[in-house]
Amino acid sequence: MKDARQARADPTSADEMQIDQENVNRRKDFLQFRQEDADALRLLNDVAQKYADPVIDDLYRHFLSFEETRSFFRDAAVLERVKQLQKEYFLRLTVGDYGADYVANRLRIGTVHERINLDPKWYLGAYNFYLRAVASRLQEAFGDDTQKAFMSFLSLMKLVFLDIGLSVDTYIYARERTMRKQQEAIRELSTPVLQIRERLLLLPIIGVIDSQRGRLITEGLLRSIRANRAKVVVMDITGVATIDSKVANHLLQTVTAARLMGALVIVSGLSSEVAQSLVGLGIELSKLNTVGDLQGGIEEAERLLGYKVVQLAEPTKSPLAG
Amino acid sequence: MPVPILKQGAILIASIQAALSDHDLIELRDDLGVRVGHNRSRGVVIDVTALDVLDSFATRTIRGIAHQAKLRGADTVVVGIQPDVAFSMVQLGLTLEGVATALDLEEGIEFLRTLK
Repeated sequence: MKDARQARADPTSADEMQIDQENVNRRKDFLQFRQEDADALRLLNDVAQKYADPVIDDLYRHFLSFEETRSFFRDAAVLERVKQLQKEYFLRLTVGDYGADYVANRLRIGTVHERINLDPKWYLGAYNFYLRAVASRLQEAFGDDTQKAFMSFLSLMKLVFLDIGLSVDTYIYARERTMRKQQEAIRELSTPVLQIRERLLLLPIIGVIDSQRGRLITEGLLRSIRANRAKVVVMDITGVATIDSKVANHLLQTVTAARLMGALVIVSGLSSEVAQSLVGLGIELSKLNTVGDLQGGIEEAERLLGYKVVQLAEPTKSPLAG
Repeated sequence: MPVPILKQGAILIASIQAALSDHDLIELRDDLGVRVGHNRSRGVVIDVTALDVLDSFATRTIRGIAHQAKLRGADTVVVGIQPDVAFSMVQLGLTLEGVATALDLEEGIEFLRTLK
């Protein structure tokens, strides 16, 4: 009960990750984890109780002998607490009830390890250490009955792999969530449409363009063309790091829509990498009016609108002195 | 509802006031064809400001009008395509390729003047 409540308070709950009973059952099916395995593991509970402390001591000795994992246990109090939790985890393996509570508990453990930035390689290494430590203990406990020891070990291995699957999923999920948040942040950066001369608009695009943002950009531009009675638009894509066929298609659509409203779009700021990748992708952009940099784009637009910029005097020695 | 065609010097202005049926469009095409020759016009402005949709048939017919007028010595410019209309046209792949466009009537007339 306590497990379930904590899991709900946790940001990466089974619900959020869409790991429902069905999903867990599929995982178990795939691992061929059956009721016999659960029963076999429950029988190991006595052995587990007996060996929990030495196994965990071994595990932490192993952790402390590596620089990368030692850094997580600077504090003796922390180490003691973590060992206690580890023992709970270890004993939980042989309780025999591997339902929703169990899954929620495993997901939470995975989330915690992700949050403290323990790389999966150490995390998985610890599982491996566990399996090996337990294997030798089982041999000891079952003595001559090697067949039984081996079968129990296989059951345990299935369960541990279920755990590994769940915890690796929490790692992936957490990273994906970070990526989603960043995507949203980028999307929220507005794309302003600025008038820089009578009938000349500037549209600087920065960041990633996906279909939703592409749509917003196009709509914003078309509305501004109408409102400002623009004839020429300079679309600057210096801030767009990569262009794939989808983005190129968005740009083309924007340019075509602007043309339907009687405005010419000049695309400026194609870096050599972008130009190269466009050529590499074989995207037909011959209909686009492109200029190397923003200055060139504005100059071209001014020429089209009949402006001529003339320098009236030498620049003052120091612009700040006015 | 037939589309009124106004004569302004050497320019014909077809001002579409309401949504057009396919039949209206055909009629507009035929009328303009006759009027271009009759008035010896040098330019045609098709004003679609009032339309909130331009489908593939309308687009094709307008292109047809432009090409037909060109063959008889008149340039055509489509004016007043609304932002939303432009956006949905592009999404449908209707680009009015080869037809001049301008923001509004004033711009369109200005554009035809510069051609001469």
